[in-house]
Amino acid sequence: MKVLVINAGSSSLKYQLYNMTDESVLAKGLVERIGMDSSILNHKPTGKEEVTEVSEILEHTTAIRKVLDKLTDPEHGVIESIGEIEAVGHRVVHGGEYFKGSALVTPEVKAEIRRLFDLAPLHNPPAIMGINAAEINMPGVPQVVAFDTAFHQTMEEKVYLYPIPRVLYKKHHVRRYGAHGTSHQYVSRITAEYLDRSIEDLKIITCHIGNGASLTAVKGGVSVDTSMGLTPLEGLMMGTRSGDLDPTVVTFVMNKEDLSISEVNSMLNKHSGLLAISGSSSDMRDITDGWEEGKPNETLAFEMYEYRLRKYIGAYAAAMNGVDAIVFTAGVGENSVIVREKVLENLTYLGIEIDKELNKVRSGDPRRISTPNSKVEVLVIPTNEELMIARDTLNIVQESN
Amino acid sequence: MNYKKIGVIGGGTMGQGISEMLAAKGLDVLLVEETTEKLNHAYSMIETSLDKQLEKWAITKAEKKLILSRIHKVTHFAELGTCDMVIESISEDLDAKKEVFKQLDQVCPSNIILASNTSTLSLTEIAGGTIYPERVIGMHFIYPVAKINLVEIIRGLKTSETTFEETKRFVEEVVEKRGVMVYESPGFVTSRIICVMINEALHVLGEGVASAEEIDEAMRVGYQFQYGPLEMADRFGLDSVLAALERMFREFGELKYRPSFVLKKMVRAGHLGVKTGEGFFKYDKDGDRL
Repeated sequence: MKVLVINAGSSSLKYQLYNMTDESVLAKGLVERIGMDSSILNHKPTGKEEVTEVSEILEHTTAIRKVLDKLTDPEHGVIESIGEIEAVGHRVVHGGEYFKGSALVTPEVKAEIRRLFDLAPLHNPPAIMGINAAEINMPGVPQVVAFDTAFHQTMEEKVYLYPIPRVLYKKHHVRRYGAHGTSHQYVSRITAEYLDRSIEDLKIITCHIGNGASLTAVKGGVSVDTSMGLTPLEGLMMGTRSGDLDPTVVTFVMNKEDLSISEVNSMLNKHSGLLAISGSSSDMRDITDGWEEGKPNETLAFEMYEYRLRKYIGAYAAAMNGVDAIVFTAGVGENSVIVREKVLENLTYLGIEIDKELNKVRSGDPRRISTPNSKVEVLVIPTNEELMIARDTLNIVQESN
Repeated sequence: MNYKKIGVIGGGTMGQGISEMLAAKGLDVLLVEETTEKLNHAYSMIETSLDKQLEKWAITKAEKKLILSRIHKVTHFAELGTCDMVIESISEDLDAKKEVFKQLDQVCPSNIILASNTSTLSLTEIAGGTIYPERVIGMHFIYPVAKINLVEIIRGLKTSETTFEETKRFVEEVVEKRGVMVYESPGFVTSRIICVMINEALHVLGEGVASAEEIDEAMRVGYQFQYGPLEMADRFGLDSVLAALERMFREFGELKYRPSFVLKKMVRAGHLGVKTGEGFFKYDKDGDRL
């Protein structure tokens, strides 16, 4: 079965076509600048030459039509006809409390995603546009939605509630939802496979650290706690996001600097984190370079980032009363040797022993970076959210048949 | 209509604000002024405004660059032929506005909406010189445009239902502001009520009831105004307030619209408010109160 995975943003659309018999990627690509007369479609068919095309793509329906044209193109295509695509999987950011896993798209499911616009005003509307566009272009083909929040729906009430008046939860659904669920779920499963142990017996801390970053405590295969909250601002210090702070900082600064709600939101989401402390960059590679050169601002940014990350690992070891494996994934997690090294160096109280040489290995495969003596396994596992969505899509469609 | 490119005529305070707001919403803007000097000045003022927002963390450097890249400087009306809508925002001079609309009417295809950001003038009169008055409408933005989410949509006598509906959709869906429908009447809703309040504040000042600071403080703190009435007048421009009051006084003939003498004296002295650095209060070149 061939499955098309779509990740629709407001003006962009990423896609990957999988052959699920061997989970191979047949083609992937990206449409950018949707809504403009010079939209860019970049198509990468496996084993064939990459193509880039600039044309007018005003909305998502046209974008998907162009993608399908490319996938079936005699020269650049990878399939004979659209009919070969038997299912479509979509990434949706917010599934609220309603979606506890991926779901087959029905009118009720779409209505529910719309009801969640309030909680994810920037991210859920484009997902609906992507779903509608796929329906128009591929009528009758079953579609599945996978949610960034769904994996964390197993968190208990004591974990997901904020200690604030409960009426706010009832009225506005203010609670912790988390994010990056598909990634945390994927790497925790691969961890169990890699260690050749049953996931039910494992306590895993998954560190998804990219431009956005979150940690999840995965116990027995389910998420018991995660560092992001109502929005992806809570938790770790990130590229441009502050992560945890005293909420009074917000009202205090708003008052002192005469800031509006949108200004303070922008400050915390786009002008904070590594960028704010280093004053130079939100990219961990630049920060690490600066730290190696001994630049004070970059050094401070690096130290704060590492310290806050390490504190969360400690917290989740406490949350689960122990930890069997710590897993690093996503841009920084997979590539920053130095972030991993510095965090792990200060976790010896957990019995962690890092193998510095293994830690330096660069590879696209899952790998162990701890020594055989280490009491906790430390792994680096490249994430693959698209594959996870494709698998969910395949399973759900097969079950529904 | 899929709005992508909007013409803005006039690079004064309001024209700058409208251009910046449209560009921030992702639209391309053709900003028109009579001379290159005036255009460059308007552009640099928009840049200053964006810098201030950057300082306040409201936007990022990349966003600033993107917004500026969408604003294109134009000195000839002929270039507006490809716009999906044109918003006129020159000074409140009826004859000048009539002339602008007459020219736009010839340049823009007849299905393109021509809007005026007038705060007090008659849309019916502004549309007087056009062949297609049904596509002329009022779109009154309020200063500061980026922050105030209200637009008065004013129908002239000949404005068509389609033009009104399309304008309302543009205001609510494209620029995401609240649209209030208003029938043509001097000062509409906002200017009429606010100018009378400013005028009353000037009477209070002239009668020595309280100082300028105390009057503004009373209204600001007492009724949660962002600015008191006198600072508001300084920010609108005292000449603009005077012109609006005089027009309403003439049109309605009622004494409550007669501009206070304090206002006339200030305008004659050239103390026009923020734009000259001095009105009832003093301001620096960025418009911040000293």
